[in-house]
Amino acid sequence: MVIQLVGSAVAVAALVGLVAWARLARPTPPLDAEGAVRLLAEEFPDDRVDAVWLAADSGGLIARSGDLALVLWRRGDGYVARSASWADVIAADVDEGRIKLRAIEGAPALAVGDGPWPPTEVAA
Amino acid sequence: MKPAFDPVQMAIPFFVIAIVLEVLLARFGKAKANYEPRDAATSLMMGLGNSIVGILTGGAVFAASLWVYEHRLFTIPMTAVWAWVVLFFAEDLTYYWFHRLSHERRFWWASHVNHHSSTHYNLTTALRQTWTGGVAGTWLLWLPLSFLGFPPAMVAIQKGVSLVYQFWIHTEAVRRMPAWFEAVFNTPSHHRVHHARNPRYLDANYAGILIIWDRLFGTFIPEDDAEPCRYGIVRNLPNFNLLTNVFHEWIGIGRDLARSRSPREVMGYLFGPPGWSPDGSRETSHTLKARWRAREERAAAELKGEIPALRQAQGEDLLQGRN
Repeated sequence: MVIQLVGSAVAVAALVGLVAWARLARPTPPLDAEGAVRLLAEEFPDDRVDAVWLAADSGGLIARSGDLALVLWRRGDGYVARSASWADVIAADVDEGRIKLRAIEGAPALAVGDGPWPPTEVAA
Repeated sequence: MKPAFDPVQMAIPFFVIAIVLEVLLARFGKAKANYEPRDAATSLMMGLGNSIVGILTGGAVFAASLWVYEHRLFTIPMTAVWAWVVLFFAEDLTYYWFHRLSHERRFWWASHVNHHSSTHYNLTTALRQTWTGGVAGTWLLWLPLSFLGFPPAMVAIQKGVSLVYQFWIHTEAVRRMPAWFEAVFNTPSHHRVHHARNPRYLDANYAGILIIWDRLFGTFIPEDDAEPCRYGIVRNLPNFNLLTNVFHEWIGIGRDLARSRSPREVMGYLFGPPGWSPDGSRETSHTLKARWRAREERAAAELKGEIPALRQAQGEDLLQGRN
């Protein structure tokens, strides 16, 4: 049984290696305005978007929808979507150029870059 | 009485070869398949873990089947062809209801959700099997077959055959099978719909081998080429952590039970549909589908000019505060 388990683990490792070599992940270009609008329409079709802030590395976004923050961030070759209170998201601290959104499951960290957080236009 | 052979164990080399083939064909542009290494690793580790858990719990489940069989109504011979034909249909019908229960009631969804958490649909997704099925107790649903008089070994073999059949339908490489086949059997197209998170496709196509049960019980939804399937669960997981994948819904149930204030809330959180909440503030498949239908009706009315079109926000209109 131990031999069978070791064999299975080796087979799993070999298959993962093959998958990595084959490079078959979905093409996931950095988020731009068009991509942001498309993703928001897919993930939050019933929420009206007032404004969108794109992460400095284009790996995520925060959109404002009234008192709600709609958050999308990259995971692998796709995006994870969550919503949270706008007040909680806007209160997040910046640490080493990233805002860590602890109010959201998974606590995503989005790149702020050199700009201010929260961005004045979105927060207004 | 013990199964003479295990179809799943026998099929493992075929599973590996089929995955290698799918990857190579996709790599050289001969078939459609997307793979993300961490996603595939999670799926394969789930399959391995399921086998280990099966070794630990399989004996108890089989012993329970034997005990029920000792109190059987009839004695059905394992060597009769008619018995295998009847069992084929009876087991597949059992699978349909097991699968439907596993999607429509949270306690059983907590065990089955693991199989749906991949945002990809490839042959490794088929191996993304639960570790907590024994705890969820869905194996009880197969006991009536032994009570009727089917030997437990016969039931175990047929369950294995069903599982092996369902491996090959987890692929985007096959677009459609011939019409007669699509009408009767579960196919990659039907099962893509089952794994989709688009609201229109939720809670559909629970079939194991035969799609006729979905057609009969009103849960069949055909794949619409105009709306490609987006795979995963309604709230996709925030990471690739294996243990998060296995236990996240059980942990969610635990948290909800801890803050329950009445027996009604306890029952709702345990046995209500996934997403149930006392105040209705969370999303269930039912509410997501209702909102999707409302959007569809509004879009149709806008097309006819019955109501003014909502302004569609476009790209740069919305972008603010980018660094």
